[in-house]
Amino acid sequence: MLIGILIFPIIFTVRLSLSGWNSFNPELDFVGIKNYIRLFTDDPRFWESFFRLSFLAVTTVFLQYIIGFALAHMVWKDIKFKRFFRVLFLIPMMTTPVIMTVIWRTFFHESLGPLNDFLSIFGVQPQWLSSPGLAKISIIIVEVWQWTSFMFLLMLAGLLSLPKEPFLAAAIDGASPFKKFMYVTFPLMAPISIGAIIIRLIEASKIMDTVFVLTSGGPGTATETSSFYIFIKGLREFQMGYAATMSFTYLIIMIISLTIIAKVLTKVLMKE
Amino acid sequence: MSLNLGNIIFKPTEQYHLNDITLNFEPGKMYTILGRTLSGKTTLLKTIAGLLSPDSGNIQFEGKDFLAIPVWQRNVAMVYQQFINYPHLNVKQNIEFPLKQRKMDPNLIEKEVSDAIQKVGLKGFEERKIQELSGGQQQRVALARSLAKKAKILLLDEPLVNLDYKLREGLREEFKKLFIGSEASQSIFVYASTDPLEAMQLNGDIIVIDEGKILQTGSAKDVFENPANAKVAEITNDPAMNLNKGKIDNNKLILNNEIQFNLPSNLQSMPSGDYLVGIRATDLYLDDQGFDFQVDISEISGSETFLHLHHQDTKCVATIEGVKSYEVDEHVKINFDLSKIYLFKESGELHYSPYQN
Amino acid sequence: MPKLYTFIKYFCVILWSCFVIAPFLWAISTSFKDFNSVTGGATYIPWLQFEPTLDGWSVLFKPGSQGGINIIGPYFNSIFVTFTASFISIALGTLSAYALSRYTFKAGFVQNNDITFFFISQRIMPPVVLAIPFFLFLSTLGLLDSLAGLILVYIVLLMPIAVWIMVDFFNRVPKEIDETALIDGCNPFQAFFKVVLPNSIPGMIVAGLFCIIFGWIDFFFAFILTFTNVQLLPVKIVALNSSITPWWSLSAAALVSVAPLIVVAFVVERFLSKGNLSGALK
Repeated sequence: MLIGILIFPIIFTVRLSLSGWNSFNPELDFVGIKNYIRLFTDDPRFWESFFRLSFLAVTTVFLQYIIGFALAHMVWKDIKFKRFFRVLFLIPMMTTPVIMTVIWRTFFHESLGPLNDFLSIFGVQPQWLSSPGLAKISIIIVEVWQWTSFMFLLMLAGLLSLPKEPFLAAAIDGASPFKKFMYVTFPLMAPISIGAIIIRLIEASKIMDTVFVLTSGGPGTATETSSFYIFIKGLREFQMGYAATMSFTYLIIMIISLTIIAKVLTKVLMKE
Repeated sequence: MSLNLGNIIFKPTEQYHLNDITLNFEPGKMYTILGRTLSGKTTLLKTIAGLLSPDSGNIQFEGKDFLAIPVWQRNVAMVYQQFINYPHLNVKQNIEFPLKQRKMDPNLIEKEVSDAIQKVGLKGFEERKIQELSGGQQQRVALARSLAKKAKILLLDEPLVNLDYKLREGLREEFKKLFIGSEASQSIFVYASTDPLEAMQLNGDIIVIDEGKILQTGSAKDVFENPANAKVAEITNDPAMNLNKGKIDNNKLILNNEIQFNLPSNLQSMPSGDYLVGIRATDLYLDDQGFDFQVDISEISGSETFLHLHHQDTKCVATIEGVKSYEVDEHVKINFDLSKIYLFKESGELHYSPYQN
Repeated sequence: MPKLYTFIKYFCVILWSCFVIAPFLWAISTSFKDFNSVTGGATYIPWLQFEPTLDGWSVLFKPGSQGGINIIGPYFNSIFVTFTASFISIALGTLSAYALSRYTFKAGFVQNNDITFFFISQRIMPPVVLAIPFFLFLSTLGLLDSLAGLILVYIVLLMPIAVWIMVDFFNRVPKEIDETALIDGCNPFQAFFKVVLPNSIPGMIVAGLFCIIFGWIDFFFAFILTFTNVQLLPVKIVALNSSITPWWSLSAAALVSVAPLIVVAFVVERFLSKGNLSGALK
C-alpha cells in the first residue's frame, strides 16, 4: 500500500510527460517523417539557432563558473561583511529574469539608457540592442548577471562543506595560497564543479525569457536561440508538428552532448 | 517457545545466500553464528528478523508460522555492527521508541528504560543527543533499546567489530552478564561473529556457516575440539588451522620427503593412505631438534608472533609466544606437537581428532 | 603576497557588488521619475536632475478602472501559486524520492536510475515543448487561465527538482535506520513518518527553497497558460511593455516584485552558514 502511494506521483508525472511525448509524433504519419526530413535538409535557421545557442550557453556558463567560483572563494572566509556580500551576491538569482530583463532593456537603451550616457563620455555609443554582435553581448551580460549567483551558491555551498583535514595538511606542508588552491581546493571541488556546470548548461540552453524580452531574437535572427525559434514556429506560426520535431531533435542532441560533456569534464577535472 | 528454521533457501542472485538452512533455537540459550565475511550470517539474521523473505522454506516460532508475520509484528530485536540509533532523538527517547510504539503503559516504560540504561552503564546520559556520544556509547544505546524491548529473539550482527580492542573485551563480558538476564526470561540470543576467539569466549552453542550452508552445530567446546571437516577447522581457528597433504605409510606420518615422524601412539590404529593433516598454529613450537623451515612473513599481533613458514610444499603458520622479530627467508627450526594432530580424509571430513573418545 | 591577494579580493568583490546593484539603482531612480525626465535623456540623481514623484509607485496600487496598473492582485496570485505548488511538489517529490531510494523497481527494462533520469530530462526540455501539451491538457480539463490549472502545471515542473534533491538525500540515510524502525514495531508508513522524515527536514527545506525560487521566477508558462482571469506578476509586468512604456511604474513594479525573494536570499544565506545546505546539494 505504501508502494501505491509512493508510485502515484511518479505515474502522474510520467503520464503527463508522456502526453508531452505524444505531441512529438502526432499520429506518427508520413507528415511526421516529412518534418524530420525538412528539419535536416531544408532548415538552416534551426541549425544556426543551435550554434548560436551553443555559443551563448557555453560562454555564459563558462563566465559564470569562473566568476561564481572566484566570488565564492573570496567570500568564503577572511573578509569583512562576509554575510552582507553573500546575501548580496545571491540576490540576482532570486529575481524574476523577465522582470530584470525589462529593467536591463531600459538600461541598454541606446539613447535614454544610463549605460550609453556614461559611455558617451568616452565618445562611444554602442548600439547594444540593434547590432547583431552587441546584441549577443547584451544577452551574455544579462545572463551572467542573473545566473552567476546560482553558480555562486553551488560553489559556496561546496566550499563550505569541504573537510578541514587536507587544508591543515597543506598548511603544515607550508603551501602557498596559490598552491593550496591548485592542489587542494580545486580538486576537492571537482565533482561539485561538474554538477554545477551541467546543471547550468541545461538551464542556459533553455534561455527564453531573456531573449524574448530583450531582443525578441533580433536584430533579425542574431540572437535567436533554439528554444526561441521553436517557440516562434510552434506558437506564433502554429506549426505544431514541426515544432515538435525540432523539440525532439533538440532533446536528443542535448542528452547526447550533455552526456559527452559530463564524461569529458569528469575525466579532465578528476584526473588530479 | 523455540524457533525452527526449515530448508530456508534465499537466492537473490546467481549465488545462494542461504542454501537449505535448517536450524533449531531453544529459548534461554545463547547461539553464536560463526562464519567468514559474506558467509551468510547477516542474511540469516535478517531472515529471522523478517527484513528478508526466503525464496522457499519455513520458519516456525512458538508453533506459529513466522513467515506470515510481518517484521513489525515479530517480537525481535536487532543490533547492527554500524551503531544504529535514531539521530533525531536523544538517548532516552531512543530507548523508549519501541516501547511507545507498542503503546505500553508510560509508567512501565519509565521503569524499563531506566532499567536498560542501568544495565548498559549509561546512567546520566538520558538527555544526551546521539551525535554527542562515542562509538562504544552509541552501541550501548542500541543495545539498551534492544534489551528494553524484552524481545523473545535478540539478534546481534557483529556488534563489537567497529569498536576498539579494549572496549570489545569489556563489552563482551557485559554481554554475557546481560545474557544471563535474558536466560531467565527465556529469550533466544543469537550473536553473529567472524572471530573464533570471540565465539569461544561467549561459550554458547556454535553454528558454523560458510557460503550459505550450515557446516556444523554444537557446543563451543565440541565444535572447537572436533571440527566436522577441514573447512570448519579453518573457520574456527585464528590463525586458520594448518592443513597439509600427507600420508600414513609404513608406520610413519609423512608430510614431505624430509618431514616424517614415527607414527605416534595415538595414531597407531589409523589405516595407511592419503590424508589432510591438520595442526593448530599454537601446537607448533620452536625446537632446535626440529625441522628446518623458511620464514615467509612474520606478523606481530598483541603479545604473539605469527610466523608464516614453508618447507618445500609444506606450508604452515606457527604462533610463537612473545614479540620476536624475524627476517624474511630466515631459517627457524620447528617441531610439531604430535598429540594434537588431526587427520581429515582427502574429501575434508574429519577422520581423527585428538579429543575424540 | 597575501596582502596583494586581499586587495584583489576586496577590489573584485566591490566591483561585482556594483555590477549587481547597478540595475537596482537605476530602477529605483527611474521609478521616481516622471515622463519628461525619462524621455529627455538619461538622468540619475534625484532632485539634482529631476523632480522625484511618486507617480510611478502610486499607480501600481490603483485598480485598472482608474487608469492605474493594479499589481496587488497578480502579486497575491504569484505568492499563492508559488507556495501551493512548491508545497505539493515537496510532499509528492519526497514520497517519490523515498520510493526511488529504497525500493528497486523492475518494470521490464526500466530501472531506478532510469526513472530518476527520466525525471531530470523533464528539466532539459525547452519550455516550448512542454507548453503545447500543457496547453492542450489544461484546455481539455477546462483549467486554462485558472489558478488550479497553473498550480497543476507548476507541480509537474517543480517536482523533478524536489525528487532530484531528496533522492540524493535519502540515499545518504542508511537503510538500517528504516530497518530498525520496522523491527521496533513500525509498519512501513510509520517508519517513514516517524523516523525517516524527521531526519530529512534539512533536505526538504533545500528542496523547498529551490522550488519556491524556480516557481516564483517563471514567466513562460504563466504567459502561455493564462490570459485575463488569472495573471501572475511576471506576466503583468511584461505586459506593461506597450507602445508607450511607462518606465517609471515599470521600474517600481519590478522592485516590488523582487522584494519577497530578497527575504529568501537571507534565508538561504543563513542556511549556508549553518552548513546544512552543503550536504544536501552534493
